[in-house]
Amino acid sequence: MRGLVIVPAFNEAANLPRVLSAIRLTNPTWDIVVVDDGSSDTSAQVAAKMGAVVLRSVLNLGIGGAVQTGFLWAREREYELAVQIDGDDQHDPQFIPALVAPIAAGELDLVIGSRFLEKGGFRSTVLRRVGIGYLSWFLRLRCGARVSDPTSGFRASGRRAIEFFAESYATDYPEPESIALAARSGLRVGEVRVRMRERLTGKSSINAWRTLYYLTKVSLALILLPPGSGELMLNREDSP
Amino acid sequence: MTAHPLLPRELQLVSAFVLVCFLGWVVHLIRGRRLSLRDSLLWLVSTFGVLLLTLFPDALRWMASQLRIEVASNALFAAAILYLALNLLSLTIGVSNSLARLRRLTQECTILRTEVKDLRAQLTSAQQGRGR
Repeated sequence: MRGLVIVPAFNEAANLPRVLSAIRLTNPTWDIVVVDDGSSDTSAQVAAKMGAVVLRSVLNLGIGGAVQTGFLWAREREYELAVQIDGDDQHDPQFIPALVAPIAAGELDLVIGSRFLEKGGFRSTVLRRVGIGYLSWFLRLRCGARVSDPTSGFRASGRRAIEFFAESYATDYPEPESIALAARSGLRVGEVRVRMRERLTGKSSINAWRTLYYLTKVSLALILLPPGSGELMLNREDSP
Repeated sequence: MTAHPLLPRELQLVSAFVLVCFLGWVVHLIRGRRLSLRDSLLWLVSTFGVLLLTLFPDALRWMASQLRIEVASNALFAAAILYLALNLLSLTIGVSNSLARLRRLTQECTILRTEVKDLRAQLTSAQQGRGR
């Protein structure tokens, strides 16, 4: 199966060489596309020099818009598998084969990499873990998806999920909401254990003060989900 | 003339004048293609409604009594706030719509930019191959 690794990056020139070479080393047959979300640093040049395809956005669309650009590319180039991996080196690409295994076996359409299914690795602060636990519970309540790490940006999509996300993807703080949208549209969602690292340079897009705002906004997004149809809404308009 | 007119004659004339000017301005903008009719329809219709209320203030008094608002001018304020909120909401809908389109266009541009770069590189190497 043809696979594409989507790496959204915003000012990640310092981390990209490590991320991209790790992907190359562990998954040499996969293509890599770096979505440069309007960076002001040399992210695009660094990625191009490392041999990745670079999709360079003129405007900063935010993580949701950037990831969706990657899915549009995957759909256009007819990839059967797409793995999203953050450009800040938190995700270990050696878990990619495990992540796509359920999709390749035809069991799932969307697989989330969860850091909470086993001990060890980077597990974030207590406050954030409580928040993530709440989101996991709320997500299950709203759409029945059992995902222990819904904020994880390390995930794999099969053909059906690629088609779906190319059409409709959440805009800001998109991770939990996109799971809900996918589950509501009849995609089979599951999870696989992965190990995460703490980022070495740069800062996370969500700082401690914003956690409450994040939780409120994501909760509202989950409350205001469009009614589920149980079937794929592939031709649904993204605009209201 | 009633004993306590809701709108004194002078105020009525000034309000009507202001509203007509406002309507005229909106019409002017539409004719000059600076405002689309679709986006400004609500402004036109609602402003016309307010103009009617100004010309026939008894309608407002009747409305206030129906809603059991004791001071009729409070009904005027309520109507004015509703008028603004309605137009603001329609504006926000328009902005959301435009943002969704802008996002989609940006993504398409991003993809096309890479496609063009690819094609250009292929063309250059093909030309070099032919030149040899």
